[in-house]
Amino acid sequence: MTFLTPLFLAGLGALAIPVLVHLIQREKKRVVEFPSLMFVRRIPYQSVRRRRIRHWGLLALRLAAVALIVAAFARPFWPQSASATTVASGAREIVILLDHSASMGYGDHWQRAQDAARAAVRGLNAGDRATLVLFAKNAEETMRATPDKVRLESAIGTARVTAGATRYGPAIKLGESILARSQITRREAILISDFQKSGWSGSEEARFPEGMTLSTVSVGGTDTANLSVPSVNFGRAAFSGQERVTVNAGLSNKGDKALNDIPVTLSVDGHEIESKRASVPAHASASVAFTQFTLSGPNVRGTVHAGTDAMPADNVFNFVLNPSEPVSIAIVDSGSNDASLFLAKALAIGTTPTFQIDSTSISRATPATFDKRTVVVLNDTMFPPAGAGGVLKKFVERGGGLLVVAGEHTTWPAGEADLFPGKLGPVVNRMSGRSGSLGYLDYSHPVFEVFKAPRSGDFSAAHMFEYRTVEPAVTDRVIARYDDGAVAAAERKVGAGRVIVWTSTLDDTWTDVAVKPIFLPLVQQLARYLAHYEQPQSWFTVGQVIDLNARGRNKPDRVVVTPSGQRLSHGVSGEGMPTDSGILELNEQGIYEIRSTGAAAARPEAFAVNLDPAESDLAPMDPQELVAFVTGHAAAESPEPSAAQEMTREEAERRQSLWWYLLMGGLLLLATETAIANQLSRREKFL
Amino acid sequence: MSSTQTAIPGARFVDPKILARIGNLELMARNVVEGFINGLHRAPFFGASIDFAEHRGYVAGDDIRRVDWRLYARTDRYYVKQYEADTNTNLSILFDVSKSMSFTSGGVTKLEYGSFVAACLAYLAQRQRDRVGIITFDSEIVAHVPPSAKHFNVTLQTLDRVKAERRGHLIEPLTRMAEHFKRRGILVLISDFYEEPDAILEAIKPLKFIGNDLIVFHVMDPAELEFGYDDASSFEDLESGEQIPVVPQSLAEEYRTLIKAHIDALTTKFSEHRIDYTLLNTSQPLDRALFSYLSSRERLMRVR
Repeated sequence: MTFLTPLFLAGLGALAIPVLVHLIQREKKRVVEFPSLMFVRRIPYQSVRRRRIRHWGLLALRLAAVALIVAAFARPFWPQSASATTVASGAREIVILLDHSASMGYGDHWQRAQDAARAAVRGLNAGDRATLVLFAKNAEETMRATPDKVRLESAIGTARVTAGATRYGPAIKLGESILARSQITRREAILISDFQKSGWSGSEEARFPEGMTLSTVSVGGTDTANLSVPSVNFGRAAFSGQERVTVNAGLSNKGDKALNDIPVTLSVDGHEIESKRASVPAHASASVAFTQFTLSGPNVRGTVHAGTDAMPADNVFNFVLNPSEPVSIAIVDSGSNDASLFLAKALAIGTTPTFQIDSTSISRATPATFDKRTVVVLNDTMFPPAGAGGVLKKFVERGGGLLVVAGEHTTWPAGEADLFPGKLGPVVNRMSGRSGSLGYLDYSHPVFEVFKAPRSGDFSAAHMFEYRTVEPAVTDRVIARYDDGAVAAAERKVGAGRVIVWTSTLDDTWTDVAVKPIFLPLVQQLARYLAHYEQPQSWFTVGQVIDLNARGRNKPDRVVVTPSGQRLSHGVSGEGMPTDSGILELNEQGIYEIRSTGAAAARPEAFAVNLDPAESDLAPMDPQELVAFVTGHAAAESPEPSAAQEMTREEAERRQSLWWYLLMGGLLLLATETAIANQLSRREKFL
Repeated sequence: MSSTQTAIPGARFVDPKILARIGNLELMARNVVEGFINGLHRAPFFGASIDFAEHRGYVAGDDIRRVDWRLYARTDRYYVKQYEADTNTNLSILFDVSKSMSFTSGGVTKLEYGSFVAACLAYLAQRQRDRVGIITFDSEIVAHVPPSAKHFNVTLQTLDRVKAERRGHLIEPLTRMAEHFKRRGILVLISDFYEEPDAILEAIKPLKFIGNDLIVFHVMDPAELEFGYDDASSFEDLESGEQIPVVPQSLAEEYRTLIKAHIDALTTKFSEHRIDYTLLNTSQPLDRALFSYLSSRERLMRVR
């Protein structure tokens, strides 16, 4: 029990008054001199010695009455925590936002966070409801609004640190939506986190409206020392028909002290193949290069492990390596000498991917020419004759890529017009005067996207002397135009495949593009795009989503085994269409495996998942900054703001009104005491 | 005694409180006694000592000078004339000056009242040519003035100086006094008698051994008799200093019963031993004391 005006308790000193009255009254009383007390002494009386207390009950009544009255003036009320005190003015809707991102695995952060969450749950009072939201990169309503403390604490106890990155925005938004749904007027959110600076960009659209409060509990400490392996690079080289890989591991030290002689180990397929020592200065990075090893086959799993510290999760970096697969390209030209020289040379030096190029003339083109190709280039030549033309069409419809380089020899039969992006027109000669140039590029298209950044390629430097006119259909996408507005490149989707027409040549006859710096990346980018090429990723980051259907095309039913051993079934129908979404969110750190249930593959497809490097940066932000941003006003870090507590103390006292009962009790006792004392005084001669 | 008061209205004189203003005891006593005597109109008890009393038959051994010859001539028988005694006596005043005598509830103290009584008696005695003396005592004898015809003034001076200061005790001083009285006389004992009646009587008995005529004046304040207190107070014994918290309302009745029993016991016991006992209330005039004395004196004058 607490008192609003505890100074009044000094009045408890009045308790001594009845006792003193009993004990020292005769000292203060008027003394009457009498000749002799001979007769007075003879009169029988019960006791005239006031120094001995006779009526303990009466004294207790007096003391209790005084104590109650004094206590009433001290304005007592039951001691309650701030959270409980606010309950006095109504139930609360509370959302506990508990950070379980990977960084919470640092030291005892997670234990402290759980304790703070439990403390918040225990602070609930009758009528209060709480929702538990666990968040990392995404937020999840783990326990819906409930007043059941046991369930809430159980949910907190079963929560675990995940590998996710910290993002406050989704959690705050979810908390806001939960509170907004509530009918309860008092709405509060408690954010328990280590408040990593990297989790808050300041541009989140997370705002609390008026009436909602956000309090924070920071479990982060001042010690943010942490060693991590944020990335790994690979150097590939072909050696006697095999691919050799050099692994370069990056190390990052976020601490204030330099780390010396740290063991850095490379393991491949579970075997440690090399261990090195490295030193990393404070707040700096370093790299370790391991010796080359031969990539024996697909899905080779590797791990780099560096040192030990309070956050072991980011001391490990996983990757999966696959041998490079070349893109097969068939170049069909008119058969003149060196018609495809520039094109073939430009593609031949490609490394990511490598291109396997087969050139042939249109006269020799057969259906087999287009078999098992990824991309076909019709370089200034006619559409292949009957049989080959049909194969080419099917090839495109099944997903193949077709690049039509429109030159003077290019013709397109009307019957195959649906395969050509637009209607091919006559030659435009820009030889007289200033030659033409590329005036518009659709940088949003994947082919030109790489040139989007400034100084990433000057297309205007290329001179376009002649080109064919093309009238694109409405459904065709024009991705480049000349300076006169004529179409320079257009795309049409045919079936699952892609067809792009380049309305000038890719050699030095109609244009000098082939000798410009942009030629090489342009050609390779065109080939990659048409080949649906995606650079194989050696690792993913936690939180990324992959489309298994894109990977598992034409594969039977498969099972995904997560790093923790959990099996996820993702079926694919006979037509290769996914029976479910096929979307897999990567939530765990480690190696995922994709096993085909029908096939007994020796090495299942695998991919590595690593922590978001930002999680390794434990530099904290000021929680009040976040609160100020979200609520529009600053708030105390503690979930029990003292100012608010002062206000609610008075409010709680006013609502409880214990003083009234105490005062009534005190007066009642006084009345009882008076009645009893009168009776006793009548019965006794001396009091 | 009330009949006496009504029978002799003239004896009513000045209130003791007013008397207290008269600093001179002799003047005070004179006023009282003269007023008292004048109020009587005559003094039947003041006959001359040679006054004829009665005749009785002559027996052998009687002095023939006392034979009434004229009666013999008429009756032819020998008769002897008897006369009233013609003697002067000793008056010793035994005055209790213990601390309890200093009590007053508003008027004069018991000590002052006792002094007035003693002075008046001394004055009466002096007028009658009796010898006057005084002994003051508390737990022991404080002052002693032997009876003498010349000691009236000394007696008054002694009374003027008395102070009630110490605890009192009757037996010891009275026993010692008894040893001093070699000659028969009148002893006037003035006290408040705060002792058990039996103890008091035991203390007084020795005074009677040689035939002294003992007159006892019991001086009491009205508060002692009526216990008219209202407020609950601590009562302090004047002599012992002991304090007792008292609620008078619940005590008074019982106290009055006890004090009445005490007075009754004293009256009975003194009466049994032929001792004149008079209760004096300090709020009342002094006439009762004088009447009591004169009655005793009259008895003593008779020749048996």
